[in-house]
Amino acid sequence: MFFHIVLERNMQLHPRHFGRHLRDNLIAKLMKDVEGTCSGRHGFVVAITGIENIGKGMIRDGTGFVTFPVKYQCVVFRPFKGEILEAVVTMVNKMGFFAEAGPVQIFVSNHLIPDDMEFQSGDAPNYTTSDGSVKIQKDSEVRLKIIGTRVDATEIFCIGTIKDDFLGVINDPAST
Amino acid sequence: MSGEEEENAAELKIGDEFLKAKCLMNCEVALILDHKYEQLQQMSEDPMNQISQVFEKSLQYVKRFSRYKNPDAVRQVREILSRHQLAEFELCVLGNLCPETVEEAIAMVPSIKTKGRTHDDEAIEKMLNDLSLIKKFE
Repeated sequence: MFFHIVLERNMQLHPRHFGRHLRDNLIAKLMKDVEGTCSGRHGFVVAITGIENIGKGMIRDGTGFVTFPVKYQCVVFRPFKGEILEAVVTMVNKMGFFAEAGPVQIFVSNHLIPDDMEFQSGDAPNYTTSDGSVKIQKDSEVRLKIIGTRVDATEIFCIGTIKDDFLGVINDPAST
Repeated sequence: MSGEEEENAAELKIGDEFLKAKCLMNCEVALILDHKYEQLQQMSEDPMNQISQVFEKSLQYVKRFSRYKNPDAVRQVREILSRHQLAEFELCVLGNLCPETVEEAIAMVPSIKTKGRTHDDEAIEKMLNDLSLIKKFE
């Protein structure tokens, strides 16, 4: 799910950036530093949308760098265990398939794909029901439920399932 | 962190910080990111250079999965859903997935039926009807 939240960060600025454009420089550096990063607690920082407040700068002993506490609003993407969302299938193999929902990767193991869907290898590997009516392949859109998350220092990785009511393929690229 | 282990969106356990935060539906994120992308485009010749992979992937994703495209419809969806005493998170799941039946809605947002809440099937059905109307007239 996407959220709009307020975060705080201490920004260090070199004295050469001081002057009329101090604020602009600070914000430009903030955007460069945090946009696109990921933390386990807040998820992926997608975009900074506004600055709430810039606190008083503190000169650091010995270096001349000044630290400013900056409060900023941003759009983050944070997946939760138990959340249901839509995703695009990126890769299919006999172990299961990978899907992407925005910046996050989700793996759905073949144990968590309904039992009536069989793996078919070939040029376009896919999972298909015995009557061929439902097919999961690359670029399919699926609705899945996140059942586990693993948090790295710089990435969040999810495990999902489509073995539940109202989950599964919502749009097959081959059939449209 | 012990809170991490207990997190479960189905029971609305997403941590205090996120429970109080403003959730965004995919269509709202699309509006925000589009606007930001345009701003970047005006500032530099080659905006693709400036944006992160996370931004690019998110923009592609929300554009693909936005149920409502026009800003007025997006506003109406939020207004209708916010009349129903839903948590922000529940509101956005419903707005994103647009379930068609009451059964489906409860499967998508199980917390809607937990005890102490006043949503009966009729109220949920009315809410879903209102949503599909917006889609129809968009």
